[in-house]
Amino acid sequence: MIEFMFALAIGILFGIGVFQLLRRDLIKAAIGFAILFSAINLFFLAAGAFEGEAPPYLSNVLAGRPTSDPLVQALILTAIVVSFGSFSLVLGIVNIISQRYDTVDSNDVTQLKH
Amino acid sequence: MSLAIITAAPFCLALLLALPQTRAQLSKSAQTLLSAGLMAALFAWLVGSFPMVQAERVVIQQLDWVPALGISLSFYLDGLSLLFGLIITGIGALIFFFAGYYFDDAAEYNRFMVWLAGFAGAMLALVLSGNLLMLFIAWELTSVTSFLLIGFKGRKESAAREGAFKALFVTSGGALALIIGLVMLGAAAGQIASPEASGGFVADLDVILQLDTLHEHAWFPLFAILILLGCFTKSAQFPFHFWLPGAMSAPTPASAYLHSATMVKAGIYLVARLSPAMYKNALWTDSLLSIGLLTMLVGAVFAVKQSDLKGLLAYATVSKLGAIMALLGLPGQAGIKAALVGIIAHALYKSALFMVAGTIDHAAHTRQISRLGGLRAELPALFWVTVVSALSMAGLPFFMGFVAKETLLDAMLHYSAPSTGLVMLATLLSAALAALAAYMLIGDVFMGRRPQDLRIHKPPAPIYYGPALLAVCSLAMGFLLDSLVIPLLRLAVPKSFSLPLFAGFNEVFWMSAGVLAAGALLYRVRKPLIRRITFPLSGDSLFREFIAYIDWAGSALLNFQSGYVRYYLVWILGSVSLMLVVSGIFSTVTAGQTLLPQDLSVTATDLAKIFMLLLAIVAAVLTVVLREHVKAAIAYGVIGYAIGVIFLINHAPDVALVQLLVETMATVLVIIMLGQIRPAARLKVIHNLWDGRHSYNFGFLRDLGISIVIGLAVFVFSLIALQNRPERRSISEWHLENAALVDSEDAVGAIVADFRGTDTLLEIAVFTTAALGVLTLLARGRIGSKQFMPGKAPAGLNGEANENIQDATSLSTPFTRLVAHFVLPVAILIGIAQIFYGSSGPGDGFTAGVTIGLAVSLWYVVLGYDEARRQLPWFRPEHFVRLGLVIGIVNALFPLLLGQGFMGHVQFDKALGIYDLVSSFGLHITSALVFELAIAITVMGGLGIIIEAIAYPLSRVAADEGLSTVGSGE
Repeated sequence: MIEFMFALAIGILFGIGVFQLLRRDLIKAAIGFAILFSAINLFFLAAGAFEGEAPPYLSNVLAGRPTSDPLVQALILTAIVVSFGSFSLVLGIVNIISQRYDTVDSNDVTQLKH
Repeated sequence: MSLAIITAAPFCLALLLALPQTRAQLSKSAQTLLSAGLMAALFAWLVGSFPMVQAERVVIQQLDWVPALGISLSFYLDGLSLLFGLIITGIGALIFFFAGYYFDDAAEYNRFMVWLAGFAGAMLALVLSGNLLMLFIAWELTSVTSFLLIGFKGRKESAAREGAFKALFVTSGGALALIIGLVMLGAAAGQIASPEASGGFVADLDVILQLDTLHEHAWFPLFAILILLGCFTKSAQFPFHFWLPGAMSAPTPASAYLHSATMVKAGIYLVARLSPAMYKNALWTDSLLSIGLLTMLVGAVFAVKQSDLKGLLAYATVSKLGAIMALLGLPGQAGIKAALVGIIAHALYKSALFMVAGTIDHAAHTRQISRLGGLRAELPALFWVTVVSALSMAGLPFFMGFVAKETLLDAMLHYSAPSTGLVMLATLLSAALAALAAYMLIGDVFMGRRPQDLRIHKPPAPIYYGPALLAVCSLAMGFLLDSLVIPLLRLAVPKSFSLPLFAGFNEVFWMSAGVLAAGALLYRVRKPLIRRITFPLSGDSLFREFIAYIDWAGSALLNFQSGYVRYYLVWILGSVSLMLVVSGIFSTVTAGQTLLPQDLSVTATDLAKIFMLLLAIVAAVLTVVLREHVKAAIAYGVIGYAIGVIFLINHAPDVALVQLLVETMATVLVIIMLGQIRPAARLKVIHNLWDGRHSYNFGFLRDLGISIVIGLAVFVFSLIALQNRPERRSISEWHLENAALVDSEDAVGAIVADFRGTDTLLEIAVFTTAALGVLTLLARGRIGSKQFMPGKAPAGLNGEANENIQDATSLSTPFTRLVAHFVLPVAILIGIAQIFYGSSGPGDGFTAGVTIGLAVSLWYVVLGYDEARRQLPWFRPEHFVRLGLVIGIVNALFPLLLGQGFMGHVQFDKALGIYDLVSSFGLHITSALVFELAIAITVMGGLGIIIEAIAYPLSRVAADEGLSTVGSGE
């Protein structure tokens, strides 16, 4: 059940992110870009090999409590920081476009071909 | 070893010449002596290695390169390599010397010599290489360096650019065929050499040349044709010959070296090199013979038609290369002796003639044969050099060229096949035309009357030394056959042979004499005859049409590029979703899977997760439907927090902490950025999107459709992945059990900072790069922006202020200032605690960096850019980034000193004997701790760069722009 809900949420979030990217509003496109990352991180979390009752700490392991999967957490940790870097790059590009062309409507940005 | 040094020496020379110090300290003549002296020394060394080759037949030296792939730097010296090596270094020395006087400008000379020396190194590597892959790399290096040499004058002359492009296009196009052919050859050789281990790859020449069944292999036709394509393009064989005359736009020393003695002989070298393993298959020999003869004839005819001196020499070279190819294609390796003698003779006279052409160009500033004449009186030394070299080219008795022609005719005469008559006819005709070309060189350029408008300035005397020495060799070599040429050839020619200077008055002699006479006869009637020669089709025009087609296809493709970036994405994602739907992948993937949940029971924590997922979805929908950007940004923040809470519920406290901090940071960034965009621009897009008459038009439905298909695909794929994930069989278990090895309580921290530390190191480098990208974009990109120029603010701005973000000054109340001042030290303390106790609890280097970065960004929001910069003078993000990365890398390299691997685990506390002391505080001073510190500093610096760049006040932009226009005076 919970897997189904996770998959559903990942699919919906991803679809919304893609939709935002396809629209004209560049600020919303940037937000959509960030939503894509969130969906991917959710997927990483859900793809962990096992779920536990405690954080993956050594003391929990020694106490015999089932812990959550540390590997996916490390992956997400890395992914979050990198996605934040790319997100700020996107924001920088939107910022520049808004000042070069005085618009945040991607249909007004027509000179990129040249 | 020594062969490696020989090969490396010219490259070292190129590097040395490229140094600015060399250019400044050494005069042109010193550089000339140095370069020519080095080549002469290499020549002498190769001569000295003669007894060694004589004793061992083949000298092989190897250095490991990529031992795991079986690739080694392998050097191979036998008679054939030695012959080519002597030509490359010997002619090279003379040409390097010549170049010193050909160029008047020292800087130009230096630039030229860097590439020429690089080329010499590549060429030496090619002929000394004992490994097919290394040979190929050298092959490509000669293409690249020759491109640079041909296009040397490309800045001024379009012909040079065109010639260089043509040469590169043809030769590297052929090289593509060659590499495929060589790889297939290596694979075939591997199958033959070790049949039991199929799939092996053999690139070593010594193994390949020992195989005697290669020509029976099933792939032989394919790789033989591919290799021959590479050789034919390189050695300018018909129909690829046209690049060579185009390459004459190179400075003459390059033409003399590359296009007479060395590069064009690379194809011949490879054919001769592989012949022992290939010649038994008729496909190999027949292709060589037919293409070679055709090239020989076509080149000879074209040569006499040229008006440019170098063009004539180029086509004569094409013809001679064809003759050599044809000789290599004679059955049973019957022509190899004649081919090698031809190579020696041609290298001697053609390099000399090219240098003559260069000297004439230098002295008379023209190479047009019609504008030259009567140079004998002005340049007597050059005249005699030309006479000797041209007569050698024509094949007058007792010159080296005579020996070459005698052996050529002799070899062709012994070719017994139905087509012998045709072969002889072609050979005799092109020999007669070669004689005609030689007579034209002497007669049209040096004899007769000097045109009125031809002014000669005398070149410096040393310019003659090289060509004169070569002319002497052309003359003397014939008399030194027994002592010099024959011993060398004995090492390269498999059968026993005789090579007399004069074989008596046999039929070959009479043919040879007849050719000379025919040439003289043709010289009398050349002018009306040459005018008659026309060709409906030239390789050059075919090439141009080919390029035109490529251009046409390119511009046709360009029509798909609308310039609206958004539609590119529509095309890409639209095609993806179309493919997803059409390919039926959904039914393939879902076959045998249950998609709908069977077990509907949920626990309390599941319920909490589902609630948070729903919250995230609702917030995501809100980011779409909320019109105003600020509200959408806040809704986006809600998604981030909801996901953070999910992480927390899933027992991932580290991730939850980072997620919450980063999402806060991201939302703050969006809001800072919104303040930088003119409200009218934002309102306009809102208006366009929502208030238009066609807000639910085709485009909307199309985007919706694409998103639904892609969302559906992601849903299905992740559901299947999640339902089928491996349970309890991943490396996670190992990580959990071994976290104690690295003194870490937190398995996640252990993975990030230790087990997978290299990933993390790369990741902070990526993050830094992104931050620098933002800085570059915003610092440089803003210059030249149109907005916010004085007097350009559009009217009607005031009425739209309802959505304006409050600017910095209005946020700066005494209370917010107090908060900002209070938060920063707390954040720093929290950060330090997170670094030191990262191994035993939530938080680590990332969170520390983001926490401090967040506190600093609060200063920027509250106090504004200027005030924040003034009050936080120590906050220098670029220094932090540098420091963090340096610490990270040093920390990663340090274990290497201790004999551990890159990023190995070092326990500093144990090494220092303070383990018990610090562990009583719950601390572990290890390399992981240092690494966390590096991460924290780097992330903090990267964030700082991003914040500073994005918060940079717009009012400054106009001022910067003024400055930059003043600053850049171009």
